[in-house]
Amino acid sequence: MEVVEQGMGQLFSRTTPDDFRKAMLEKADTMNNDKRMDLKEAIKRFVKNGDYLSIGGCSIVRLPMAFIHEVIRQGLRFRMAAGTRTFDIDLFLDNDRVLEIDIGYILGLEMLGIPQATRNRVRDRLKKGDLKFCEWSNGTMAWRHKAAAMGVPFIPVRTLAGTDSFKFSGAKKVKCPFTGELVVLVPALYCDVSVIHVHRADKYGNCQIDGMLNEDVEKARSAKRVIITTEKIIDTDEIRKDGSRTIIPQFYVDAVVEVPYGAFPTNMPNLYYLDLDHLQIYADAAKDVSGKALENYYIEYIYGVKDFAEYLEKCGGKHRLNELRGIELMERN
Amino acid sequence: MASNDKKYNNIELMASVASRYLEDGKVMFAGTGIPMLAASLAQKTSAPNLVLVYEAGGISPAASMLPLSVADSRTTYRAICNASMPEAMEMNQKGLVTYAFLGGAQIDPYGNLNSTIIGTDYYNPKVRLPGSGGANELGSLAWKTLIIMNHSRKRFVEKVDFITTPGYLDGPGGRERAGLPPGTGPHLVFTELGLFDFDEKTKRMRLKSVLPGVTVEKVVSETGFQLIIPETVPVEDEPTKEELRLLREEVDPWRVVLRRGDNNAQE
Repeated sequence: MEVVEQGMGQLFSRTTPDDFRKAMLEKADTMNNDKRMDLKEAIKRFVKNGDYLSIGGCSIVRLPMAFIHEVIRQGLRFRMAAGTRTFDIDLFLDNDRVLEIDIGYILGLEMLGIPQATRNRVRDRLKKGDLKFCEWSNGTMAWRHKAAAMGVPFIPVRTLAGTDSFKFSGAKKVKCPFTGELVVLVPALYCDVSVIHVHRADKYGNCQIDGMLNEDVEKARSAKRVIITTEKIIDTDEIRKDGSRTIIPQFYVDAVVEVPYGAFPTNMPNLYYLDLDHLQIYADAAKDVSGKALENYYIEYIYGVKDFAEYLEKCGGKHRLNELRGIELMERN
Repeated sequence: MASNDKKYNNIELMASVASRYLEDGKVMFAGTGIPMLAASLAQKTSAPNLVLVYEAGGISPAASMLPLSVADSRTTYRAICNASMPEAMEMNQKGLVTYAFLGGAQIDPYGNLNSTIIGTDYYNPKVRLPGSGGANELGSLAWKTLIIMNHSRKRFVEKVDFITTPGYLDGPGGRERAGLPPGTGPHLVFTELGLFDFDEKTKRMRLKSVLPGVTVEKVVSETGFQLIIPETVPVEDEPTKEELRLLREEVDPWRVVLRRGDNNAQE
């Protein structure tokens, strides 16, 4: 196949399809284990410093916030997939916890604008060479996960062509070996660990998700290790009543952690809406380019609390969570 | 100036005008911010059968309050399907999506968009922006791309600092030469000053109409490249009372997006 043009971006995950097969062979033996554990144990067993991490959910919806807070408290640093990332990647960036990023979308808070302090910190770290980027797009990041989920080395796509996004990506443009037409190839993205917050899971890791799926089907299938945090653990009989609802089956999953409200302050479809007030507190803190207000935010909400339950209490506890539930359900009747 | 009587702000104006151009019954991808605002308004006015697809997988949700994210539960509220990013993007790749509606930080005469960096050194930019998001896919794959952004010489430039999302690239045939699907490209650009389309032959941006109270001279002086100016330039209608009521009371009652226009109500 003739390579016509190629991006100059660096590939941050070097896991090959055969490496991945070996990891899956090992995992197959643990398929029927009861995988319930607490968050600290799941992180200790399945997350290493420097791992290539992919986080589930999208933007300010269904992010595994309890996990994110805990790994930030523990000081772990990652290389990261960042298609449709907002609040999660910003928290990692504010604390210098990311070394390399495959970018689809970073540094935005959608309607809430761009966190200035975070943006400046990123600019300064880029200048120092302390942070590395490779440029992609939300679609190509999703397809890169999909290719890995398929167990293949790359996938052809019809985007990126003609742009600087292509030039700074790791993609290649080739002549299709069947038709001779130009097509862009993007490499499969095999991850070390994916962490996904779901609505319901059983003890083996069979998961149900309400609302949008983003690329979580693919993320669960393209990582060597998968941690599920769930609003609720349900009986396997419930799963078996309707297997068509199982978005992620047990054989991909390593840990199942029950964390009610584990996506707060992001939106958990059908359960609670995003907490605009709390996200605004963060967005306002990030406007202070001295970084002082953000520092206070982290002391107040992450470093100064022992766990996620204490954070929830601090943010208004049951009362606020009930309000968010009300907002989520107000248009449902 | 567009709203010197302060009856509405620029965001309300842009969303109202853009909403009237969204074609009923078509499939449209809407990005975050004003595109969603205009789409939500159109669903309640002229385009009740607009089929919205959101990149995180929400397909054809019922009209509701404005989603605050391309993924939030309002994008799957009474949706016909809760799909995924690959599915949504593949609908686009297969040609099912007529319109994509997005924003950007900079645009050039060919409708190429930048949302990645300000500055010319990728590794040492003046400002790092969020990047493509889904914009590259939308601009590459949808049949017709709609673009909405604020208008100034800093934003409407001869050459964008970084082509994040393809417009007509270097002109006629540019997209096809690059390997993008044929017959696609930028269709309309909406700003607080006017509406723009693209000349069929040169693929360069052309003034189509101005917003109420805006002169052609003003548009020209705020544009950093040579615009094609037709002989007659119509003026768009002001937002109606009903459009403003819907925007304020039903679409964005929390004013999450609308309030961004409050500071420049008489800019």
